[in-house]
Amino acid sequence: MTSSAMQIFASYLHLLAVAVYVGGSVAMEFVLRPAQSYVPPSQAQVIGQRSADRFLVLVWGALALFPISGLLLFFSLSDQDSLRGMKFLTTSYGQTLLGMIVLWAVLVVNGAIITFVLRPRLARRASAPAGGAGVAERLEVMRAAANRVSLITRVDLVIAVFIVLLGASLAYGGGLL
Amino acid sequence: MRVVLGFAFTLAWALYLGGSVAMELVWRPVQRYLPPGQVNVVCQRMGRRYRWIALASLAVAGGASALVLPRSRFTLSSAYGRTAWACAACWALLALGVMTMAWLAHPALHLRHDASLSGAELAAARQRTRRAIRRMDVLLRADIAVALVAVLLTVSLRSGGLL
Repeated sequence: MTSSAMQIFASYLHLLAVAVYVGGSVAMEFVLRPAQSYVPPSQAQVIGQRSADRFLVLVWGALALFPISGLLLFFSLSDQDSLRGMKFLTTSYGQTLLGMIVLWAVLVVNGAIITFVLRPRLARRASAPAGGAGVAERLEVMRAAANRVSLITRVDLVIAVFIVLLGASLAYGGGLL
Repeated sequence: MRVVLGFAFTLAWALYLGGSVAMELVWRPVQRYLPPGQVNVVCQRMGRRYRWIALASLAVAGGASALVLPRSRFTLSSAYGRTAWACAACWALLALGVMTMAWLAHPALHLRHDASLSGAELAAARQRTRRAIRRMDVLLRADIAVALVAVLLTVSLRSGGLL
């Protein structure tokens, strides 16, 4: 594969990952989520749970694709010299790239919190043997978890949009930081 | 200015393509777990909101492209020019597709059947709804395919074009 073909392929994968992450999050948070309020809560819960399960697979795929396609892109652009030695920390290009990597790591951590901490709390059912107080307490835990998922999703979206801005500054300028 | 335009351009394509992919890979499979009546309600609400996001994304993508791409290179004799024109054609197809889905195909899914219809008329109305669902499926998948091609062509412009 020529350098140019590799560059197109890597850029394409990178943009697809951005599209799935950012576009998918906007669709889930600002289109699907508000629409859930028009159906009974039990159905809304089914929609929320099933859609989140499927969307998380896409999110993790996109998060995995970011560094893979990013590295491919970096090497196909022959930009290695611009980051040799301490240039990673001293040049605008290096600092912007470093900023993108750090923010990507934040997205991964937030994704892990949603997947392994908050989603299991939402998936547990309120059981009748626990009694009325138990069910109410369980519902309160679920509500709190749902609110936290929503908050983290919105924070992630802001971070992802900022990463896109940093990426655009690398592609169309010399970096932003 | 180029950075801002590049940012708007990337974000617009990401919103458009990612939204379509989420509809196809997330929302469509979830419909299996819901009663048809509820699917209808959610689908209708989502469609009303999503069409504006899709149209705004396309408008921003088109506007940013028009400003950031050098018009002097839009000639059919070069790979860059051919690719740029193909991008423009894809963009026009997508805009047409979104408008068709938003104002023709999607409303046809949600037509209410009059209670006074006879058995044969009701069967015919249901048949029309089934056809509308199939049409919507085809349109949405074609839309994603065109968007994927459009993004590939757009990305290739930075390396001189693909065609």
